Amino acid sequence: MNWVNAIAQGILLGGLYALFACGLSLLFGVVRVVNLAHGDFAVLAAYLALVVITTTHVPALLTFVIVAPLFAMFGYGVQRLIIQRSLEVSPLTTLLVTFGLSVVIQNLLLVTASADSHSFDLGSLISASFRLTPELSIGYVPLMIFVTAVVVLTGLQLFLSRTAMGRAIRASADDQEASSIAGVNTRHVFGIAAAIAFATVALAGLALGSSSSFDPSAGPARLIFAFEAVIIGGVGSLWGTLVGGIILGVAQAVGAQIDPSGGVLAGHLVFLAVLALRPQGLIRARFAV
Amino acid sequence: MADQGLSFERRVSRREVLKTIGGGALMLGSADLLAACGEIKGSSTTSSGTIVIGYVSPQTGALAGFASGDNYVLNQVRGTSVYKNGFKLGSKTYDVKIVVRDTQSSPDRASQVARELILTDKADLVLTSSTPETTNPVADACEANGIPCVSTIVPWEAWFFARGGKPGTSFNFTTMFFFGMQQFGECFIPMWDRMSTNKVIAFTYPNDADGNAFRDSKTGLEFYSAQAGYHNVDGGAYTDGTTDYSSMIANFKSKGATLFTNAPIPPDFNTMWKQAAQAGFKPKLATVAKVLLFPADTVAIGDLVNNVATDAWWTPYHPYTSTLTGQTCKQFADSFESSTGKQWVQSIGSVHSLFEIAHKAFTAVDDPHNHTAVATQLKTMNYTGISGPLDFTKGPMPGIAIQKPVGVQWKKGTKFPYSMVVVDNSANKNVPVNGDLAPTNP
Repeated sequence: MNWVNAIAQGILLGGLYALFACGLSLLFGVVRVVNLAHGDFAVLAAYLALVVITTTHVPALLTFVIVAPLFAMFGYGVQRLIIQRSLEVSPLTTLLVTFGLSVVIQNLLLVTASADSHSFDLGSLISASFRLTPELSIGYVPLMIFVTAVVVLTGLQLFLSRTAMGRAIRASADDQEASSIAGVNTRHVFGIAAAIAFATVALAGLALGSSSSFDPSAGPARLIFAFEAVIIGGVGSLWGTLVGGIILGVAQAVGAQIDPSGGVLAGHLVFLAVLALRPQGLIRARFAV
Repeated sequence: MADQGLSFERRVSRREVLKTIGGGALMLGSADLLAACGEIKGSSTTSSGTIVIGYVSPQTGALAGFASGDNYVLNQVRGTSVYKNGFKLGSKTYDVKIVVRDTQSSPDRASQVARELILTDKADLVLTSSTPETTNPVADACEANGIPCVSTIVPWEAWFFARGGKPGTSFNFTTMFFFGMQQFGECFIPMWDRMSTNKVIAFTYPNDADGNAFRDSKTGLEFYSAQAGYHNVDGGAYTDGTTDYSSMIANFKSKGATLFTNAPIPPDFNTMWKQAAQAGFKPKLATVAKVLLFPADTVAIGDLVNNVATDAWWTPYHPYTSTLTGQTCKQFADSFESSTGKQWVQSIGSVHSLFEIAHKAFTAVDDPHNHTAVATQLKTMNYTGISGPLDFTKGPMPGIAIQKPVGVQWKKGTKFPYSMVVVDNSANKNVPVNGDLAPTNP
């Protein structure tokens, strides 16, 4: 029964990782940018939500209505003004630029918000759960995060495969020059992709603040897990990212079940195994489904 | 990079100038100091006529709760007559400069700022507080450079053994006051005894200096717990920063644990305690260490803090007075609350005591810049101040003074959302009990 519990909690944890990895996967798959500031943007979103909560007294869980659109606009701006320019210089430059952004965000937060850790006050919801068996309880907050991850990733996958903008994004990802010739404004399309990615980053930040706590330096640790989820699942597939996140979560939970000090390590080992044996990832699909 | 270049230049210029005209360089040095501690004093003394006291604590970062009262205490200490007018050593009066540094909760930075205090600021004494991550690198830097140092708010085992201390021998320059595993036992076990339980207790200790000190089967809390007839369930040496505790919690539930104790870093407790609540792990009594020591921690975790017990080594209810201001603990806490508008925190007593000790040590020597003489005073100190009696000669190891913590619980307050109430004084009968021990989960 303990194993069932470990796997169930691992799947829920995987939802959090997948939500975190979603924006990274999209930016990497479409714009070909490894966004090293990904975790820091999520933390920035959590702080933004904190400001929204304290100024407007909106319940913490509803802040996404404000924070996600704001972050989408922010993402479009960052893409067009910073990332696109560095992309046109060389791929290495984008790595340096996003690394720089990471340092800048962390230190700006340190200066403006101090390094105290914060967490969203969800009242009694945070401890609420429903019990399937005496040994297996499912918390509402982890479940909500998992459902959000599935909805977001499924929705995005459908958006990419079914809509005109989705086609434009896939076309630009496949061949930038050819799609430009066909009349697609690839810069605008990349901006839209970044906007979507940043909106999901905002959701990830909210999930972080709800399930745990955050401080200005909490980002990079999250980036590692997000990155592993993307690689395990396979670059360029949002389904893969969902699967990758869940595999990583289950690996950590099962690892911790075997030995409490082995949880994080087990996740890394699975990641290494995938990288060595199947570097293209478990699910090999371009954005074209 | 620019910083390193600058400090290198500064060192070189000081060295060269010292050879030629000492005075000018010393003026430069003290100007640096004045800028560093953010106060301008119109004194014309040279640095040899000034005693420099460094203070290192985690004012920002994951451990910031520990240092939340520091600013108030430091301002108050700077305002006391002995610190304002200078220490009198024989016929000579020395100005006192207090230089404050923040570790940002990082051991690497703690080590770096301690070296800066010693090499750049020429500190005569370094005071440091709050967790091994802060005190150990600072004390190590002081020991290596032969500068006296007093640490506090760190379990003595995590401070002494983790730094390679040899039983029976003191360090040459570094001392500390706080308490250790035996006192945690004397504080927590009577509270466990008062709950009618099956005596099965869940231990949640990470793989770090504190966690391993608590876990130790010969000197840790697990030893004292087993001696008292409790059945220990150790959740295992998890890594700091772990995001999923479900298997550990499931283990506690299947073993039927009804008591809970831990020593995590604060963000991890936040994650773990939420997951425990979701999984339906509801121990009758939780006695936590290292977290929920301060009101700020309770804000981040909300109502899950109700009736969680912890240790308190200083409260407004302790019957002690300051040797610097003559204030009682109650007066001290009241003045803290009225001038900051915040709830009292127990670290203010310890930080205040650091400066009581500094005053005592310096005024007992002839030359404050004689580091060996000051260190000798620190190692043989025996006095009673706002933290109660502190005897550095009679500790478990030489150079360590022991405090006796009392058991407290967080209960809904009137002035503030949650306040700390003394519920068990088995370890220190001088402190009056002002509340009932209630189950964390009835």
